[in-house]
Amino acid sequence: MEAPLEDKRITLKEAVELVPDGGHLFWGGFGFQRPPMAFAYELVRQKKRNLTIYTCGSEMDIDILSGARVVSRYEMAFYAIEGIGLAPNIQRRVRDGSIEIEDYTNLAMALRFLGGALGVPFMPLKSMLGTDLLAKKKFRTKKAEVMDCPFTGEKVVLVPSVKPDFSIIHAQRADQEGNVQIDGIRGEDIEGARAGKKVIVLAEEIVDTEFIRAQPDQTVIPNIYVTHVVECPWGSYPMMVYNYYDYDIEHIRMYYEQCKTEEGWQKYCSDYITAFNDHNEFLENVGIVRLTRLKARKPLPY
Amino acid sequence: MTKDYAKPDEFTTLELMAVCGSRQIQNGNVVFIGTGLPLIAAMLAKKTHAPAAKIVYEAGFIDSNAKEIACSIADSRLGYRASAAIGLIETLGLMLQGGHVDLGFVGAAQIDEYGNINTTYIGSFDKPTVRLPGSGGGNDIISSAKRIVAIMTHEKRKMVKKLDYLTSPGFLDGPGAREKAGLLGGGPSLVVTNLCQMDFDPEKKRIRLATVHPGVTVEQVLENSGFGLIVPKQVPTTELPTHEQLKLLKTIDPDGIYIPRTE
Repeated sequence: MEAPLEDKRITLKEAVELVPDGGHLFWGGFGFQRPPMAFAYELVRQKKRNLTIYTCGSEMDIDILSGARVVSRYEMAFYAIEGIGLAPNIQRRVRDGSIEIEDYTNLAMALRFLGGALGVPFMPLKSMLGTDLLAKKKFRTKKAEVMDCPFTGEKVVLVPSVKPDFSIIHAQRADQEGNVQIDGIRGEDIEGARAGKKVIVLAEEIVDTEFIRAQPDQTVIPNIYVTHVVECPWGSYPMMVYNYYDYDIEHIRMYYEQCKTEEGWQKYCSDYITAFNDHNEFLENVGIVRLTRLKARKPLPY
Repeated sequence: MTKDYAKPDEFTTLELMAVCGSRQIQNGNVVFIGTGLPLIAAMLAKKTHAPAAKIVYEAGFIDSNAKEIACSIADSRLGYRASAAIGLIETLGLMLQGGHVDLGFVGAAQIDEYGNINTTYIGSFDKPTVRLPGSGGGNDIISSAKRIVAIMTHEKRKMVKKLDYLTSPGFLDGPGAREKAGLLGGGPSLVVTNLCQMDFDPEKKRIRLATVHPGVTVEQVLENSGFGLIVPKQVPTTELPTHEQLKLLKTIDPDGIYIPRTE
């Protein structure tokens, strides 16, 4: 007898409602690739506060969360808007002390997620040695430790594993049971998706489970790890999704220029985030013409 | 055969810097690249003397053959004719820390005389004036790649006696310090700026002037450095770009994204 298909689909609004103030989140995507932008915008609309975010490198997505005071702490490695400049909102929030960043390296963060996923309390690595990344810390009681390997005597750095309350991932495709396919690079999402106590996957497309099961080698996150699935087309706009769409560089540049001042950021927030009830209204405002122009020109992935 | 060198008025400083970076890539090297000038340098190397160089981007694109300029190291453009698209544990962990990376390119907001690099804060740690991007994969790359080339602007406030924050390890406080700290990689080997190229004295592990760009004097370099460089008796002029390299640079970055057409 065949088991009935489990249906893990919820709306973006419902997914964001699950995140409590003060919650700890793994934040997926890497640089311009597959950031959960729609989730960030909705966190702002729902006025979430005091979140802690764990990620390797994020950009406009988290700068929005910093501007709107959704996040108060980050444990991460990289925070800027690549190819354009320093992230604008974080400059003011770090200066006034409302945001603290515990700095690690990209490899250290990826290993911290792997450690969380593996159920071991720490991971060793050969980065951070001899630097202020080891010597200086912001808010963690213990950030990283150097130890001599008990087998070889070689120096290694130990970093604490992370098991956040939620992992938030944006992927190309998932079925309703939560089997996930990701095209292109995967950053640290494979480990991050397995580290969270609950895992929310946003997907450009919800596909029939037979599509997944016809090519099981393409599944990078099996449904066993996944708590909820959200159908969320254009969920990384104005950033990019491999094989689906390119970034909207004019929008990103506008954001960067405008948010250099607090007034400019407040205007961006009201014009592009709080002006709309949800992601679909936001997309309608961007408009089909502008979105179509960004669609990937196959066989190119952008 | 003599090379068809351009005259000093036929190229910009950024073009020269890209060519300097490119010359550091040897054919067959596995090279870690970021965006900006290093990306241009790598694309140029592949079109000239190092077609078999394997360009890796830490986000996961491996052996990339990008034909368009990318904004982000995770940019889909870098996936063009790549041999693999994986992730960070693969690139920074298995490949880099595993010892397979010959050369890494990094940027720096500040550098000190031992080649240590700051990309995290300007100002004090407790009350910073500027939040820079942070390490990203920079610390990982400088920790474990066999050879490192840094590309940066040459200013007194960037070439400093003491860093505001030590993000990535050069030779730390001198000879033997990397080994004592337990670092795997070979450390920095060259710093390319808008004024000169600098290498490292093999004994003292301190920055040493190697070549000055055409039209730049040794005095100018010293005036713009916040620490005392080692200056050898003879400082040659930087090898000029060839006409072929300049022609290719214009096709690599036709819109002048990283190399604006006029300076």
